[in-house]
Amino acid sequence: MATTVWTQRLLEQIIKTRVWRSIFRRGPARTNRTRSLAVFGNLSLHILPVKVREKSLGVRATYYLGSISFFLFVVLTVTGILLMLYYHPAVPDAYRDMKDLVYVVGNGTFLRNLHRLAAQAMVLAVFWHMFHVFYRGGYKPPHEFNWVVGVGLLLVTLFLSYTGYLLPWDQLAFWAITVGTNIIGYVPLLGRPIRFLLLGGHIIGQNALLRFYVLHCVILPLAAVVLIAEHFWRIQKDGGLTVRDDNEREE
Amino acid sequence: MSEKNSYEVGFSSDAMKEPRRIVFITRKTSAKVKGDVGPQLMSYPHVILREGIVFQILTIVLVALALFWDAPLEQLANPLLTPNPAKAPWYFLGLQELLHYFPPIVAGVLIPTLVVVALMVIPYFGVNVQGEPLWGRSRRTRLQIFLGVFVTLFVFLAIYQAWTVLVPTVLVAALALVPYFQPSSPSRFVRYLMSRTLPWWVMTWFIAVALTLTTVGTFFRGPGWSWVWPWR
Amino acid sequence: MSMPPEGKEKTPQKPEEMTPVSRRDFFNQIAGGALAIAGLGAAVVTVKYSSPNVLFEPPTTFRTGPLDDYPVNSVTYLQDQQVYIVRTEKGLWAMSSVCPHLGCITQWKPESNQIACPCHGSKFERDGKVQAGPAPRPLPRFSVRLAADGALVVDKLEIVEETEILKV
Repeated sequence: MATTVWTQRLLEQIIKTRVWRSIFRRGPARTNRTRSLAVFGNLSLHILPVKVREKSLGVRATYYLGSISFFLFVVLTVTGILLMLYYHPAVPDAYRDMKDLVYVVGNGTFLRNLHRLAAQAMVLAVFWHMFHVFYRGGYKPPHEFNWVVGVGLLLVTLFLSYTGYLLPWDQLAFWAITVGTNIIGYVPLLGRPIRFLLLGGHIIGQNALLRFYVLHCVILPLAAVVLIAEHFWRIQKDGGLTVRDDNEREE
Repeated sequence: MSEKNSYEVGFSSDAMKEPRRIVFITRKTSAKVKGDVGPQLMSYPHVILREGIVFQILTIVLVALALFWDAPLEQLANPLLTPNPAKAPWYFLGLQELLHYFPPIVAGVLIPTLVVVALMVIPYFGVNVQGEPLWGRSRRTRLQIFLGVFVTLFVFLAIYQAWTVLVPTVLVAALALVPYFQPSSPSRFVRYLMSRTLPWWVMTWFIAVALTLTTVGTFFRGPGWSWVWPWR
Repeated sequence: MSMPPEGKEKTPQKPEEMTPVSRRDFFNQIAGGALAIAGLGAAVVTVKYSSPNVLFEPPTTFRTGPLDDYPVNSVTYLQDQQVYIVRTEKGLWAMSSVCPHLGCITQWKPESNQIACPCHGSKFERDGKVQAGPAPRPLPRFSVRLAADGALVVDKLEIVEETEILKV
């Protein structure tokens, strides 16, 4: 059609301009060289390998559980940031803000539901991913350290979920955290000082809410991002995703 | 490389001007090269596209569920009034059920720490890497060790009356013993069990116990952490 | 290990006693040590920063009604202070209502003459002794004294023996 022809010509002209070529260096990804560059030369994508084994791409190979865990983290980050726009981490305000989000803010209920749902799903996905990697032997050398990083990620996920649990400041949140921090207090020697630092005091009050908020929104997400990056990087460096066949053949 | 000479001879040179390495290659010490890794595909587009599809499906499912499933919000936190029962989030309910049987320092500190450490060291133990079936060799000795461990665990759990942990332990142990006593069974299931390794059994036991604990903690515990039947 | 001709180290009498350190290694060790000390210092500063010195928590000492408010053989729960005032013929004591197991708030059940914890089913007698459940210790008692004007003053920071009674 006439319209599509002139839009096409326009695009072709734009792609030839200096401005475009200064930003997009490699050209359309139609040769294996440019396809390699699409991954290798990209800031966020070069954490992936340029080539992967075809067998590792099937659904039954990994059920994409690792990817799902990561995408859930992305969803949580986005919904979390949006929720932060209305939430004050202060003792009388927090609960009021939750009511605000649920009843007043446009799409507030939806965003909150999405955040909580993604959080439960992420804990589930991370556990399932761990069990699946175990059963297909993905922890065997040379992938040992990546397994350890993965366990670290499991702990970060659980702790993220736990700190987030307190933020609504309702009865469910308050007493779950009471029990949890009292358990921490039972750790020999370091238990009570750790509990004191975590709560910013002796009771679950204003300080505790603020510290859990900072942990939940800043410290733990940063730790998660670093560990996720290391986790992806190790897959590439240790030789790619394992597939069940590998282990039955190696031994 | 000839059979007679198991090494390759290189020529020397003036080492200061042109250093050269002399390589000795024997049959046994040749570099281990991973053979054919199988067909490969370019990450762009194959991986990127598939990940994109997974993300979209995930988003659609999440959004659909979030539209109908409301997150709970109870009354304002009241430090003076503990709700009855006071339950942790579901992924910690298994731990809370465990707390019912053992003192907090065991169920709350010791066991979680041991579990995390045990998980982390899995890849560093040979038995987890070799992939040998549990009843592969030295079956009588292994049976003795197995029964020894099982009986100790059974007695320990019975003393603490930790039924929720005891029942799945007994079930998994029974399953593990099936291939020992029926090694030539034609059933595909038994042959499948026969080939399972020790780490497989340990992990399966762990998952069975964790699932039971969490299920009981979620559905079968009511006020005062007393036993309730969920359909009442 | 190479011995530089201008060697700064003395020739050791017994080789096991002194191992010479090259200049490079020496400086590396000094730098590493300095970094370690700096790191340790940073960690200590961070922990001290994170430990609040002033806590805005509710006051722990409170006064409560005249003695006659608490008849003999009664258990009164002061909800906003989370304290039971128990009075028998022998005397009076102030007891914490926080379950020593995991911190839930217990409830006085007059019909069964017990204090019960909703979280894991611990049961206590009115003198704080554990009757049932996973609680590891009895309910702690706070120091209570009779003020000059007849009011009771309870100090929740001062925990006293489980058998201590204010004789009134």
